[in-house]
Amino acid sequence: MTSRYRLVSIGLHLVMTVWTLFVLAPLCLMFVAAFKSQADIFTRPLGLPKTLTFAAFERAWGIGIGGFLFNSLVVTALSVTLIVVVSALAAYVLARASSRRMQALYLLIVAGFAVPVQSVLVPLYQFVSAAGLLNSQIAIVIPYAAYGIPFTTMLFYAFFLEFPRELEEAARLDGCSRFQVFWRIVLPLSGPVVASAAIFQAVFNWNEFILALMLLTETRVRTLPVGIYGLIGQYSADWPALMAGLAIATLPLLVVFVAAQRHFVRSMSGLGK
Amino acid sequence: MPSLQIDSVVKSYESFTAIKGVSFTAEPGEFVVMVGPSGCGKSTLLRSIAGLETITSGAIRIDGRDITHAEPSDRGVAMVFQNYALYPHMTVAENIGFALKMAGRPKTEIAAAVAKAAKILRIEEHLHKTPKQLSGGQKQRVAIGRAITRAPDVFLFDEPLSNLDAALRSQMRVELGRLHAELKATMVYVTHDQTEAMTMATRIVVMNAGRIEQVGAPLDLYNRPRNRFVAGFLGSPRMNFIKGRVVAAGGMGVTVQAEGLPMPIQLEIEPDADLPTIGDAVTLGLRAEMFGQGAPGEIAIPARVAVVEGLGRETLLYADAGDLKTFDSESQDGYLAAHRASQVMLRPGDPLTLSIDPAAFYLFDANDRTLRFPAVSA
Ligand SMILES: Nc1ncnc2c1ncn2[C@@H]1O[C@H](COP(=O)(O)OP(=O)(O)OP(=O)(O)O)[C@@H](O)[C@H]1O
Ligand SMILES: [Mg+2]
Repeated sequence: MTSRYRLVSIGLHLVMTVWTLFVLAPLCLMFVAAFKSQADIFTRPLGLPKTLTFAAFERAWGIGIGGFLFNSLVVTALSVTLIVVVSALAAYVLARASSRRMQALYLLIVAGFAVPVQSVLVPLYQFVSAAGLLNSQIAIVIPYAAYGIPFTTMLFYAFFLEFPRELEEAARLDGCSRFQVFWRIVLPLSGPVVASAAIFQAVFNWNEFILALMLLTETRVRTLPVGIYGLIGQYSADWPALMAGLAIATLPLLVVFVAAQRHFVRSMSGLGK
Repeated sequence: MPSLQIDSVVKSYESFTAIKGVSFTAEPGEFVVMVGPSGCGKSTLLRSIAGLETITSGAIRIDGRDITHAEPSDRGVAMVFQNYALYPHMTVAENIGFALKMAGRPKTEIAAAVAKAAKILRIEEHLHKTPKQLSGGQKQRVAIGRAITRAPDVFLFDEPLSNLDAALRSQMRVELGRLHAELKATMVYVTHDQTEAMTMATRIVVMNAGRIEQVGAPLDLYNRPRNRFVAGFLGSPRMNFIKGRVVAAGGMGVTVQAEGLPMPIQLEIEPDADLPTIGDAVTLGLRAEMFGQGAPGEIAIPARVAVVEGLGRETLLYADAGDLKTFDSESQDGYLAAHRASQVMLRPGDPLTLSIDPAAFYLFDANDRTLRFPAVSA
């Protein structure tokens, strides 16, 4: 019995190890390549760099990665804040409402989750352009929020459904208005779900490419994914600099993820419990 | 010390009416205990008083003031929940003082109120802890403290002790009694527990299926239940119910042939009860502790011991008396429950003679209304 259990355990570990290597390999290659020369990358793709220089990082920074980084930070922070605030409030109201109409509304919001970005690219472009918002941070923050809100509302909804009603009722008796119940009781106890919603949306918006490519055409306002993509044509593909740029783009997310990983995993297993 | 008046309250959910017209008044300073089977609407009624449910019709008044449509916090009621409902992100002190904080009271006043409540409930040394660090009994004290600081007109308790173990429960029972005496507040208390109901209540409200069956002082209800439901609900073990038929009726009494009894018995009925007619189905009721000692005039029934529950000081016997069966208890297999006020050296299978004094019988008519009560032996 125990030996069989051990065999299964070893097998599972093996699978996990292979999978982890598979996922990590490209990341490692990227970091390593950022320290190599252009020639090295092609002649010895798997080799280690001969010398440790930060030249590629300097070049990448020199062509405006800093600005892209700043834009990405602003856009991600704004959109995530908007998504979390709107979704939390909406989900709370929906989770506490019993009327058919509100349930139908919730279904509509969930359905919004199923609309693929590609299908609305053209009308979206026309909207944003007609509103005169092209090449502004708002232009990208609002569509990001629109895409993040359905999923995040679902996440919060599931969490709020499980939230102990008696706590809210006790607070109502203690003199809280509905909004105070939410603000003073429900929200302070929603840490895990807020964290996981924020991380999830941050990752998504930080990496988002298509909308950013379409709506942000000026270098001045570009976010990292589009900015780095721009490096390819402009400098006839300076691969080390490109890799260095990607490394810079990846690092902030890695840090956030590792720091908040505990919350994230707990909240994802069971969708927000 | 305000009164609480419930006036023809009805509460309907979409397809289900949980409370079907309930009226009663808790007099100032009373300790009213509501009992009834699961799902009979006790919690719903309590939550309606608290304002957590909107009632469909009727009115609720405290001291004559109509609070039917008032916000929960404006009603002057405080509620203690079964699962404590303490705010996990606040310390004990913050939990207790939360209502005053929401009311915008100055910090010094809050601190004084918290200290006072903590002293009454003996939780001073736990004030800085969070609820997670408390035992069940301590948590419920904090929940009660939270109610006390609000100085409500009416306290509402929904099975506050049911999550505690037996020893703690009896201790908290005493403390709640002391608290009631100390605060002299009007309290409404919901419970499943017979002992809590009998020991703490000044009056008991017995509910069933959204209606009140009877209201009265604990011993009044126990001795003079208005119908078979109340008779069966109060008392543990449950009253033995035996099927019977009226074979003669006249004057102040009836003669009943009970299934399984060797002879018909004559019973006087209450002066205000309707005399049944010959052939009517009736039910005889006999409490477990009302079996006789074999005195003259008692009916001896040969039986066999089925189950013995030795409780130390006293013993519960479940006896198989052949055709003489209690008919409405699923768990008892028709065995008669008999109570002995001492230890008994009997084992399952042993023969036993049950002695029944006909005067100890309750009698219920075909509609389960009580026709007679036995004289209470002093
Ligand atoms: N929101 C609701 N919608 C529909 N029916 C409900 C709702 N809340 C309660 N009920 C019904 O109302 C009835 C009374 O419920 P209530 O909780 O008051 O019972 P209770 O007497 O407190 O029972 P227990 O002793 O088990 O706590 C139950 O049959 C329950 O199913
Ligand atoms: Mg209940």
